[in-house]
Amino acid sequence: MLVALRDVGKVWLIQRTGERVSALESITLDVAPGEFLVLLGPSGCGKSTLLQIIAGLEAPSSGEIRFPAAAPGATSNGKLTSMVFQDYALFPWRTVLGNIVFGPEVRRVTKSEREERARRLIDLVHLNGAERRYPHELSGGMRQRVALARALANDPQIVLFDEPLAALDAMTRRVLQDELLRIWGETGKTFVYVTHSLQEAVLLGSRIVLMTAHPGRIKQIVDVPLARPRHLTGRAEADMLDQLDDLLGEEVKRALVV
Amino acid sequence: MTGSHLRQIASVGGLLVLWQLVVQTGKLSELFLPAPLSVLSSMWEMTRSGQLPWAVLVSLNRVVQGFVYGAVAGVVLGLLAGAVRWIEDVLDPWVAAVYPIPKSALFPLFLLWFGLGDASKIATIAIGVLFLVLVNTITGVKSINPVLLKAAQDLGASRLQVFTKVILPGALPNIFTGLRLGAGMALILVFITEIEATKAGLGFLLWEAFQLLDTTKVFAGVVTFGLLGVATTWLLQWLERVGCPWLQRSN
Repeated sequence: MLVALRDVGKVWLIQRTGERVSALESITLDVAPGEFLVLLGPSGCGKSTLLQIIAGLEAPSSGEIRFPAAAPGATSNGKLTSMVFQDYALFPWRTVLGNIVFGPEVRRVTKSEREERARRLIDLVHLNGAERRYPHELSGGMRQRVALARALANDPQIVLFDEPLAALDAMTRRVLQDELLRIWGETGKTFVYVTHSLQEAVLLGSRIVLMTAHPGRIKQIVDVPLARPRHLTGRAEADMLDQLDDLLGEEVKRALVV
Repeated sequence: MTGSHLRQIASVGGLLVLWQLVVQTGKLSELFLPAPLSVLSSMWEMTRSGQLPWAVLVSLNRVVQGFVYGAVAGVVLGLLAGAVRWIEDVLDPWVAAVYPIPKSALFPLFLLWFGLGDASKIATIAIGVLFLVLVNTITGVKSINPVLLKAAQDLGASRLQVFTKVILPGALPNIFTGLRLGAGMALILVFITEIEATKAGLGFLLWEAFQLLDTTKVFAGVVTFGLLGVATTWLLQWLERVGCPWLQRSN
């Protein structure tokens, strides 16, 4: 097990009103090595917050998060994890290459070593020829490839994805979903992937954590034993979609009433 | 050359020719509006005698020193204030109080404090530049997308690395805006501070010519100030292209 969350909760304090809003409640979850774990839920279910807690960017208000497999003394910021952000979060003043080497650079990896790493990652995410371009000169799909390569450059055990394809058009999203699966297979890394799309969850996940909103809780954890490559038109996939749809449907309706 | 270029050249050239002709026919006294060619020959004379280059050098020395001191202080304080909350709290009331004061109004005080020499003029210019650069630098730091700070932190950057590798480059476009405004301010202030209490500089040359009603020479000074303005704008644009290569539009 790579990450163990025990009864984790997060409370936000809204400063203007002094109100306390519970974003996450009693989250107990294990992340297993090599799995493609999808966090699925409606907006407001705290799935991004959960990701930030795993990344060490936010501290839980209650409960405990442990990294049992990590080297002694390693915190989540010891680069067990790396995050791919929804809106790419690329540095506009750095080229594709400059963005990818950012992690190794701040972690004082030698120049030749980090450029060697960047070259391998550029091959992996198919960005050859775009190394010298700036982010604003790239398409959305290419930007997301850069963001993925940048996250991988630190050689994390877990890659965290915060709705990485939400801003892309349907065609590009389809292509990148396949790319993600290929890269997941080739690198053998653990992916934790936040989405609000049922289809995406079924296409990608080896396990789906279904979350409910207000407050964010885990409703159910669903194994996805379907063979790959998966197709949304397939029988088993359609059944899985229906099952999730029923579970989530209730949830979204309830969230609307509240 | 495009039609747009031709129209621009025609606009300037046409007016200059018209101006020259109107003065030559004697309809306008050279006391009020010297002919372009008279201004040109006056500038040539003053250049050959060394009077104009010397005045420019004296003024440039004040401008460059004041600008550099003000800009460096403005950038450093602005970055710190933008990134560290308590520094902003300490600076904020001073910015609010001093920013609206026309910096030329501080010149008499600086004359008292720093004397009649270059120091009082350099200080006035530095203060004028400082506040423009400071305010724009703070804006630049505040305009950085917070998710970039998160990304840098997630990738393992220390606080110092976040500062040098995210906050500084992120604020750079606004810093250059501040520098450009500051350069304009420096030229205004060097003129104002050279009207009184000095015997050298382009502003002094211009003002003395006015008092002697040597309008041609006044125009020569005005044109030289204009050339300095164009030169500083070009220099800063070039610096910005070198400093912020990612801002260039790709064709």
